[in-house]
Amino acid sequence: MQDAGSGWALEVEDLTVAYADQPVLWDVDLQVPAGVKMAIIGPNGAGKSTLVKAAMGLVRPVAGEVRIFGRPRESARGQIAYVPQRATLSWDFPTDVLDVVTMGTYGRLGWFHRSGAVQRQLAEAALEQVGMTAFLRRPIAELSGGQQQRVLLGRALVQDAPINILDEPFQGVDAPTERAIIGVLDGLAEEGKTIIVVHHDLQTVPEYFDSVLLLNVRAIDSGPVSEVFTEENLRLTFGGRVGVLETREIEV
Amino acid sequence: MRLRRILILAVVAAVSACGDHVTAPEENGGLRVVATTTIVGDLVRTIGGPEVQLEVLMGPGVDPHLYKASAGDVRRMSSAEAIFFNGLHLEGKMTEVMERMGERGVTTVAVGECLPAEELITSAAFSGLHDPHVWFDVGLWARATHCVADALAELVPAHADAIRNRAQAYRDELTAFDGWVHERVGDLEPEQRVLVTAHDAFSYFGRAYGFEVYGLLGVSTASEAGTSDVKKLAHFIAERRVPAIFVETSVPPRYVQALKEAVEARGFAVEIGGTLFSDSLGDQGAPAGTYVGTVRANVETIVTALSETQ
Amino acid sequence: MDLFGDYTLRLVAFGSAVLGATSGALGSFAYLRRQSLLGDAVSHAALPGIAIAFLLTGSKAPLVLMVGAGLAGWIGTLVVRAVVGRSRVPYDSALGIVLSVFFGVGLVLLTFIQKQPNAAQAGLDSFLFGQAASLLRQDVVTMTVLAAAALMILGLLWKEFKLLSFDPDFASSLGFPVQRLDGLLTLLLVVAIVIGLQTVGVVLMSAMIVAPAAAARQWSRRLLPMVLLAASIGIFSGVAGSVMSSIVPRLPTGPTIVLVLSAVVVGSLMLAPRRGLVWRFLRLGRLLRAPDLDPVLMHLYALSLQHASDPEHGHKIAVLRTMSPSGADVGTALEGLADRGLAQQTGDGLWAPTPIGRREAERVLDREAES
Repeated sequence: MQDAGSGWALEVEDLTVAYADQPVLWDVDLQVPAGVKMAIIGPNGAGKSTLVKAAMGLVRPVAGEVRIFGRPRESARGQIAYVPQRATLSWDFPTDVLDVVTMGTYGRLGWFHRSGAVQRQLAEAALEQVGMTAFLRRPIAELSGGQQQRVLLGRALVQDAPINILDEPFQGVDAPTERAIIGVLDGLAEEGKTIIVVHHDLQTVPEYFDSVLLLNVRAIDSGPVSEVFTEENLRLTFGGRVGVLETREIEV
Repeated sequence: MRLRRILILAVVAAVSACGDHVTAPEENGGLRVVATTTIVGDLVRTIGGPEVQLEVLMGPGVDPHLYKASAGDVRRMSSAEAIFFNGLHLEGKMTEVMERMGERGVTTVAVGECLPAEELITSAAFSGLHDPHVWFDVGLWARATHCVADALAELVPAHADAIRNRAQAYRDELTAFDGWVHERVGDLEPEQRVLVTAHDAFSYFGRAYGFEVYGLLGVSTASEAGTSDVKKLAHFIAERRVPAIFVETSVPPRYVQALKEAVEARGFAVEIGGTLFSDSLGDQGAPAGTYVGTVRANVETIVTALSETQ
Repeated sequence: MDLFGDYTLRLVAFGSAVLGATSGALGSFAYLRRQSLLGDAVSHAALPGIAIAFLLTGSKAPLVLMVGAGLAGWIGTLVVRAVVGRSRVPYDSALGIVLSVFFGVGLVLLTFIQKQPNAAQAGLDSFLFGQAASLLRQDVVTMTVLAAAALMILGLLWKEFKLLSFDPDFASSLGFPVQRLDGLLTLLLVVAIVIGLQTVGVVLMSAMIVAPAAAARQWSRRLLPMVLLAASIGIFSGVAGSVMSSIVPRLPTGPTIVLVLSAVVVGSLMLAPRRGLVWRFLRLGRLLRAPDLDPVLMHLYALSLQHASDPEHGHKIAVLRTMSPSGADVGTALEGLADRGLAQQTGDGLWAPTPIGRREAERVLDREAES
């Protein structure tokens, strides 16, 4: 299905990113095995969003390399589907649900081509997966937060990419939407796709994900949740003010 | 940043390449005098003769209606002993500067404003003010010589007689020249005497020599012509079969070109009869470089173009 | 009416319509990308370009001056980009800097140029406020060719420009060269502005960019109708302004076009459904007369009407308490609304109606109005 390569879906080596001479990411190394569901965890300002943006080439790093399925990022187009943070988009833009999801097909359509019946079918199928079939022609300005998130997820599904990167998909959504998103992500994982999620809720990490990256400007640790998601690592990442693990142990 | 440097260099290069077009003062130790337009300047130079050292602010082809005094102009004016200008709001953007110069003790003389008020044309389209283009009636302009002579004589009492003599001689010359204009214009039938130009600079000319005059822009070029003005004037030209209309040296030719297109669209081929000197004289040294030369060139252009029968 | 039988009016109206269509269509993208000021900056930045083109070539040919204007406008956008990219100056300040510096240089150059022989003949002053009545056939042909080229490129790259405007990061993640697309779209905006300089001038041109888009946005819910409507509003204003200036003597064309446009904008802001002031005012009126509704939802809805651009703006629970009769348990009421999916908590002590909640409120109000 994918290049045999090194077996890593995404490799990041020595990545350093700075905004106005202020380092946001410092010498980050990361290897994401194909087929995992990985959460990126860290405090505010840890560079989580920057890391995924750098992985896609949306921000220019000061140093470092990104490889996707063993190939340099630049020559690996169409391998990543991206769900940006909902709040960064202008939801006042005059467009509707179907149109936004159809945008997911633009990468394959190529220059100058218009979307047609095929693209519409793809978009409708994706909207069905995220439970938004009833809202095809709803202007996006009239959607609730959860509905907006479903639309963005639908747009990523249309891309049918082997790697899916989601930036804070659970931020400000209602409980049914959160469950629906998890359902969709599980489905993608069953198809063997790699999922990387910037996440902020420590409690749900063990439930939703099998891998985790702990990030605070530097990569603290990464690997399977069972090995890496330890109290000590969390303390290193968040700086000692973590009461989550106790809660988790009670749950367990 | 490099871009900005290139841009600045380009501006500097362009500015320095073009130099300054204010006429250099005639260094002769005479009375330091500033004139605004070339027309007023010519009058002052003729009457003042060697007794004045003259600087003219606006070069040939400069539009006095829109001219704004630069810092250099203000410096030149404040260091002068007398300023001669046309007045009657010709120098529309300099009225205040002139008032301030007067307050500073510089003698300011508005040549057009010494003419008797009953000889001036009041223009409804110019907010009811007097039309400032007085020099195109040669007979009227001859009467302005007194005004300049009186002012200069007062400032240089030692040479008052010489000044008054030159003024009288020039006045006689202009009176004779006025006769020539009447004669030359007589080559046109009265009904051929229709003068259409870019702006209303020729109403004194029209009154003196029997022309109907029409301007697209009104008395000042500062006003914008509306579509209806072009339309009405084009209609008139086609209706009356006016053979030629005229471009002016100090107004963009596009207005008259737009008018020509509009007339042609009505099925009448109007010519552009040539370029008239309206608010400034021609280049110094050229035949039209003096007041007399300029008016003669205008009259020749007008008579030649309008006598073409269609 | 033989109004359009007149050559001058036909020419001026056609030229203004071409300008209106181009600036309406391209202005929509600038508006949606929150770059309304960009049009202002570009058109003011064009002034020194006109002056320098005249100084360097001595030419008064409109095409030469337009090329100068376009280049200077374009350089202005590059300077904005460089300032934003290399310093901490925010985007709108960078625009302001470029606007005032370039325009200032332009005015200085105009003062200098007025002394040049032939300067008056070039009519540079008329680029400040435009001179629509003096448009020549050749000018209108040039304008039309430029406009057609710009609109054709807009049509060809429609989906790319839409994507760029809505979500540039996503466009980039799909592999589109976002920087170059952004540059091209800006270039098209520069072309639209250059087209308008002779007609409405550098000072009023920014209105031609922003106003049709702002008016059209009030009435449309999707991009294509918005762009078409903005172009139509531009055309209408251009033609209406030309006609009015051809009926009333001494009425300048460019400023009249902008006045018509402003009237359309004000009308749209007042009357448009959902976004218009009148609509929201009527809603509030009905709200006050509706008795048997969940009062807290209605209060929440009333507050959201005051934030039409962001209906999910959170409102303080304290505000809701002051709107309710004393002793009412607003907190519990909100929890109940949240359970029914009608309200949502958007932050600590901040509440907003959900879209379902807003529709529910509107449905009740409509029923109320019918009875």
